[in-house]
Amino acid sequence: MAEGLQVQLEAAGPVRMQAEFDCAPGELVALVGPSGSGKTSMLRAVAGLWTPQALQGHIRCGGQAWLDSARGLRLLPQQRRVGLVFQHYALFPHMDVLANVALAAGAHWHEADIRALLERVGLTSLMQRRPAQLSGGQQQRVALARALVRVMPSPAGRGAPPAGGALLLDEPFSAVDAPTRQSLYRELAAWRQQVAVPMLLVTHDLQEARRLADRVVIVDAGQTLQAGTPEKVFASPRNARVAELVGIQNHYRGRFHKQTHGWGRLQWLGTQGAVDLQVIDKNRIDEGTAVTWVLNGEGVDVLAEGEAAEGPNVLRCRLQEVLPLGDISLCTLVPEALPDQRITLNLTGRLLRRLAVQPGGRVQLRLAPQALHIMPVK
Amino acid sequence: MDWSALEVSLLLAALTTALLLPLGLWLARWLAITPWRGRPLVEALLLLPLLLPPTVIGFYFLMAFGQGSPLGAWLADVLGLRLVFSLQGLLAVSLLVNLPFMVQPIQRAFAAVPHSLREAAWVSGLSGWQTFWRVELPLAWPGLLAGMALTAAHTLGEFGVVLMVGGNIPGETRTLSIALYDKVQGLELQSAHVLALALVATSVLALALVLAFDRVGVRGRALQER
Repeated sequence: MAEGLQVQLEAAGPVRMQAEFDCAPGELVALVGPSGSGKTSMLRAVAGLWTPQALQGHIRCGGQAWLDSARGLRLLPQQRRVGLVFQHYALFPHMDVLANVALAAGAHWHEADIRALLERVGLTSLMQRRPAQLSGGQQQRVALARALVRVMPSPAGRGAPPAGGALLLDEPFSAVDAPTRQSLYRELAAWRQQVAVPMLLVTHDLQEARRLADRVVIVDAGQTLQAGTPEKVFASPRNARVAELVGIQNHYRGRFHKQTHGWGRLQWLGTQGAVDLQVIDKNRIDEGTAVTWVLNGEGVDVLAEGEAAEGPNVLRCRLQEVLPLGDISLCTLVPEALPDQRITLNLTGRLLRRLAVQPGGRVQLRLAPQALHIMPVK
Repeated sequence: MDWSALEVSLLLAALTTALLLPLGLWLARWLAITPWRGRPLVEALLLLPLLLPPTVIGFYFLMAFGQGSPLGAWLADVLGLRLVFSLQGLLAVSLLVNLPFMVQPIQRAFAAVPHSLREAAWVSGLSGWQTFWRVELPLAWPGLLAGMALTAAHTLGEFGVVLMVGGNIPGETRTLSIALYDKVQGLELQSAHVLALALVATSVLALALVLAFDRVGVRGRALQER
């Protein structure tokens, strides 16, 4: 069983960094954060392109140490087996497609093997072209092939090295148009089946991370804040900053009170007044703690004004605004008990028609206790 | 036509260009990528020969390497090297004044190579040397050719420094431009016309080469940036 990639970095300055994450062979981990958050620096540190003296910690890949500041070990980029796809491709403009890929391929790669690889990425008829004669999507395929030959198992039989190293993707899809991006997504997914190396993707696009990654690592101000499956991180952000970074609109202030049998009482605090909601007590938060909490829209039932509503956490709300966005509408609701608070929900047109409600009308919201995620204030 | 003058001029231009190329290449590449804070100072020193009157450079060169100076005397006694009124001396001062002509275009060419290409080469497993030979040099060569053409053309046309340091020794230090001056002084205008035309022709040729290489470089950069 090959070992994956383990990264633990710390830097005091001038660029502050505190990062810890890992990536198993065949796994795709996305480093997600706003621009300037340091996610690209983390990727470049793994590649060996960013190695200031202030950078402490260790990077291990496939059982080999790439960085170990305690032992004074800092491998050069050439000594690390890394396939890196740059944001703006960085193809060699004076070489044709074949030469670009051949340059990165080791001695075990014969020209026929490289041609076969280029055929698989859909560049059959373009091997003699220079990068300037290619579209953005085609250039990115060449860049992907050039990165892949570094980490793929060499095709030439005996003594050839197996797959190894790490595939690093630095915002690889941001410079291509949307249809091309969709087909590149599919191609990347296909390659993941075949090349079992750790893959790191840097992106600022949450949807992209959600769609491609097995796990996401949320990065902000040089720090890795939370790691986990996209579902986990999006549904239960560790703190308010993560909630903000993953684009959760419904986050509120409150106070948590313990109750019996695994239940808790969440006091939702508006500027005037408060509403009590029933929540699940996971035993992580102490009695009386001030909390930030988020509402996961998937756990919200919308009922008509007159409908009989069973269970806890039923709120009467006024539908303030409906913003149609194609199949769904972005709806803003105001709880009658807390007129200064807003709940934003994506509702289908079908549901709105069934409810027969216009802006200004009333509905009832039933919030499932599982949909209320509570975090300590940070 | 003063064939010996043409010979001296061409020999001086060829030697200056050939000797200056490795030095200029090394210096230009270093200046193009160094993060060192003292770089502007080095760049200013390199540009100085462009601004100083050639006679000033010639004067200081004579002071430093003439028979009267300790350095000049040492060179003559120990190495048997006479740098005043000799082709060697002319070559030495020519190297000095041509440094900016060689370094400037090459430095611009190396600075225009995107750093991400170097990084792409490194992560592709290329060493620093391999990156230089296989990526940087092929992209910067129009700058090298432009620098060589500029240096050769400038050496052919140099007058003040040659007169100060080399004097006017036929077959040794009398270049085309000195010979032309001589002919005009002697009112041999017919011969002067021939020499002047030869100089104009070589300059136009060199300029055409520089512009051609520069266009290749510009087109290359445009392709990279697309």
